[in-house]
Amino acid sequence: MENHSVDLPQQNTTSRRRLLSSLLAGGAFAVAAPVLATRVSAEGTTAPNRDARDNAALNALLDREAQMVATYAGVVGSLKDADDIAAFTLIHDHHVAYEQAIKGYLARAAVAGNRTPLASPSGSLPAIAGQLASLEEATMNQHIAALGNLIGLDGAKLVASIITTEARHIGALSIVSGAAPLTAAGN
Amino acid sequence: MSHNSLPKYSRRSMLTAGGAAAAGAAFLAACGGTSNTVTRLGSAPTTAKLTDAQVTDVVLLRTAQSVETMIATMMSDSAFIALTDSATAPIVASFTAAHKAHVGALASLITSRGGESYTGTNEKLMVSYGQQALNLVADGKDKQDVAGLALALESLSCATYQYFVSLTSDPTLRSQMMRIGATSARRAAVVAQLINSGTQAFAPGIDDKGVATIATLPNAFGALNATQVFLGPVNPESGTRASLLLDTPSLNSLIY
Repeated sequence: MENHSVDLPQQNTTSRRRLLSSLLAGGAFAVAAPVLATRVSAEGTTAPNRDARDNAALNALLDREAQMVATYAGVVGSLKDADDIAAFTLIHDHHVAYEQAIKGYLARAAVAGNRTPLASPSGSLPAIAGQLASLEEATMNQHIAALGNLIGLDGAKLVASIITTEARHIGALSIVSGAAPLTAAGN
Repeated sequence: MSHNSLPKYSRRSMLTAGGAAAAGAAFLAACGGTSNTVTRLGSAPTTAKLTDAQVTDVVLLRTAQSVETMIATMMSDSAFIALTDSATAPIVASFTAAHKAHVGALASLITSRGGESYTGTNEKLMVSYGQQALNLVADGKDKQDVAGLALALESLSCATYQYFVSLTSDPTLRSQMMRIGATSARRAAVVAQLINSGTQAFAPGIDDKGVATIATLPNAFGALNATQVFLGPVNPESGTRASLLLDTPSLNSLIY
């Protein structure tokens, strides 16, 4: 039997390290691909739910709501008519709810609200309602301005739901103050 | 005879061979073509893939325009206007003008974002409840329906903007939309006071017959649930009126 020695071409052996590296790189790409695709297709809905950069703005709103609570507490104490007391207590309680909601959202980042009343409305019921309508409008505008800077969606949704009812406060108080319907509506 | 020369399969050669096999399989699969080899009877129609519809800020603004136009259209409908009087007509006219003005304000927000303004009503919502509300108003011929429907439409408008805050990506736009929505909320409170006036009407309550009264401030926070309104003629058998639920726009009624 004749033996032939064949000169095979020299093969470059792939190192184990290189194989494993390729495997890891391929796996990483396979995992990253759908994630990258999701971020692209989810345009318009990628805002975070919370953002710590919102805390300062929300604390300012918390402060304002605490002052509104103090203001209404003083008004309720000065009223005599049962229906009026019930109505202004209702709005007072709304502001308590706003203060508590913002405080609950901020949790440990919340500051103690300012308890100084914004004003001491006095006089007849229409006069008191007119002064409170002005304070409500200023408060609502502060919330609208803050909303334009809030990054987190949860905080934005909370503030938006407060704005809706504070706008209603303005309309209701304006009517009680004696304003004509279109004036009270801001039209 | 003994054979001691067993083949040696090192780990390296196994990995190399495995990789080569996987590459070969991928190559063969790629060369396979696209012809369907499964035998079948008849021919299946080809289906067109639906395009991806994204809820962008422009889509939300266009939808808000459609809702504003729908409200203005309903408030200027002949059946609605026919029930107004000297006291309510100027209010209705002013509210209608305000909603038309909102359409213009929204148009500038759309064009500044490279979008196209939308001038039509929201057909989906008109079919769902808008036209039905107008039909009930026409059938009932009850002047109370003017304020009732106006209150419901203003509440719907505000709830729409409040809901859109949760879908909007630009924080500045959230603020701009809520500034518009707040005007609707304020008008809603005024209409509620025209229906049921005085401080005793601020909170929800019931009348002598146990029927819920219209409250000026029904909730501490702005609600997103459907707005309920009773319209049209009284049913002689039940003594009640038809109830309509006005929902805010959803994915099937957005203007993409």
